[in-house]
Amino acid sequence: MGCHTSKEADIHIEKDDLKILLMGNPNVGKSVVFSKLTGMDVMSANYTGTTVSYTKGGIRYKDKKGVLIDVPGTYSLEATSVAEEVAVDFLKEESADVVICVLDATNLERNLNFAFQIKEYNIPVVFALNLIDVARRQGVDIDVQKLERELGNPVISTVAIRNIGLGDLLEKAWEVAGNEIDVAEKVDLTEDERWQEVGRIIKEVQTVDHRHPTFLEKLGDQCLKPFPGLPIAFVVLMTALGVVVGGGKGLRAAIFLPLVHNWIVPFFRMLVSNFVTEGVIYNVLVGEYGVFVKGIEWPFALILPYVFLFYIVLSFLEDSGYLPRLAVLVDASFRRIGIQGGNIVPIIMGYGCAVPAILGTRAATTKKERIIVASLVSLAVPCAAQTGAFIALLGDHSLLLLGLVYLISFIAIVIAGILMDKFIPGQSDPMLLEIPNLLMPDGSSLFKKIWLRTKEFMLEAEVPMMMGVGFAALVAETGMLNSISGYVAPLTTGWLGLPPEATLGLMLGVIRRELAVLPLLDLNLSTLQLLVGSVVALFYIPCLSVAGVLIKEFGLKLSLAIGVSTIVLAFFIGGLINHTVTYISLLF
Amino acid sequence: MSLYNSKINFKCIIEKLPQINLLKSIGVREGMTVCIKSKQPFGGPVVIEMGKRSVAIARDVAQQILVREVQ
Ligand SMILES: Nc1nc2c(ncn2[C@@H]2O[C@H](COP(=O)(O)OP(=O)(O)O)[C@@H](O)[C@H]2O)c(=O)[nH]1
Repeated sequence: MGCHTSKEADIHIEKDDLKILLMGNPNVGKSVVFSKLTGMDVMSANYTGTTVSYTKGGIRYKDKKGVLIDVPGTYSLEATSVAEEVAVDFLKEESADVVICVLDATNLERNLNFAFQIKEYNIPVVFALNLIDVARRQGVDIDVQKLERELGNPVISTVAIRNIGLGDLLEKAWEVAGNEIDVAEKVDLTEDERWQEVGRIIKEVQTVDHRHPTFLEKLGDQCLKPFPGLPIAFVVLMTALGVVVGGGKGLRAAIFLPLVHNWIVPFFRMLVSNFVTEGVIYNVLVGEYGVFVKGIEWPFALILPYVFLFYIVLSFLEDSGYLPRLAVLVDASFRRIGIQGGNIVPIIMGYGCAVPAILGTRAATTKKERIIVASLVSLAVPCAAQTGAFIALLGDHSLLLLGLVYLISFIAIVIAGILMDKFIPGQSDPMLLEIPNLLMPDGSSLFKKIWLRTKEFMLEAEVPMMMGVGFAALVAETGMLNSISGYVAPLTTGWLGLPPEATLGLMLGVIRRELAVLPLLDLNLSTLQLLVGSVVALFYIPCLSVAGVLIKEFGLKLSLAIGVSTIVLAFFIGGLINHTVTYISLLF
Repeated sequence: MSLYNSKINFKCIIEKLPQINLLKSIGVREGMTVCIKSKQPFGGPVVIEMGKRSVAIARDVAQQILVREVQ
């Protein structure tokens, strides 16, 4: 769901368009600079590794055109990780006219070290000294003119989120582009010399005012201690859950269901009945299970409220800088399942949608970790859409049952993680993670991000959902469903103990995860059947878009392995629950 | 003494680092003054403060970083 499209918009590059590389350390505000300059929406987040794949966007400065390439943020250019390799390749092969290098003013040392590495590539560079507002608040003052002289390149102070300084940045970029670099003047520094030089420059240009820590700084530090960090984490996660589940139910009942039932569906009924008389086509379109009935009710009334609220919570957590703190707290536990704490980020994203979660695993440095996280997310982490469906199916029946499904999901994650850690060769890297400042998220960029993600969900979910529902209505109306159900009866009714109509969920579940759940809605299932159906849907095959991204990231063989094991496990565990519970109830 | 075993909130100077590239590029270097801000139980990482920044370092790595206390 909410699924993510990796926008590599095909921008036509003309011969005299300026080619600009946007580079920098992770979490310096590069994504924000990119969105502001190109007007394209890319997501930013307050932790390292937001930009893992690259994006291009067209930009204009006065009457001139250019293309801006957002290179993955890295700490160095030593090509020791995928992201660094990509960055180095860009510098070497893209024949760029100019590099815009974003520096974090609160972190000058590490950023200047990177600046010197970029300067080795003989491409004109303009530096954006970003986050200057945060630096000032911390009492850090930087003499920009001196810094400019020391570096020998233009330096512009910017506050990217407020669009301050970005115009000057472009002006300078065009000014220096194509300048010949005087190779003779260039000095190649060894690593130690570079750090010394950086240290010397910082002494020259930076003055730090020691001040009392602010409330957010103190809170940020407290979040990192086992106590009160763990209780805080508990409160944060429970609040998140409360907002999504409680808020979602409220939104659904107060706004979305009435809107769909009283206005949208009647509107389509009226429209369609003008053209079509009662019959198969009428039923497929606006009958009880019609495309314009369930195809609208399911995604908009049952799923959207949860997706929307999940993205509010996720975006807030991301931008506040809380997630890396959570990563520190969970690291010791995560290492038991073969991954380091930093992977909490893609896993939490997986509770929204598995697609960005799997793409997000690129930030992990070892293949083993990537495979473990991607498999866990595909297998046992329900996406927000599926959560909405579970709540629709189980929430009214019994909250206990809903809790049980999530408990089973959690246990599966632990067991699968331990097993994969044992059997997948390779190792995971130890945690080395920069902890960003805790920030109050900026309202407008938060809002934009939530809107972007919700919009993506609506676009990505609506079409497959309608087609799925249309297909379902068709097979049901034509009686095909009955014959197919007959074939798989030994599995559905025999092994899983579900009614024959449940076949529909298994067929539609291939398209989207929540579609494996929703067809169970009006079947009047018993408690046991509800549980079995939910568990099968939980573990069942990753949806079509997830399969696509798995293949793209890990190749066909591995994806097939993940896909097949999730299906087999789904049926195995579902049947196991069915038979165990049935057997136990016979005893009493 | 290893960084991992230094006391919380006690300043120390890094004397020797293990050969880990990311450590350097993240800005941890020999000769720097750092202090441990927090330590997680069960073999979890430590968070160290260097200047105005905080960096989380896994126990295994922190054990290989040698430091000298300065107070
Ligand atoms: N206060 C402030 N926050 C900023 C500024 N630029 C970026 N941010 C925030 O810093 C965080 C990291 O930005 P992002 O663009 O994701 O960094 P990237 O990893 O380099 O792409 C986000 O939460 C931004 O909203 C700035 O100039 N001032």
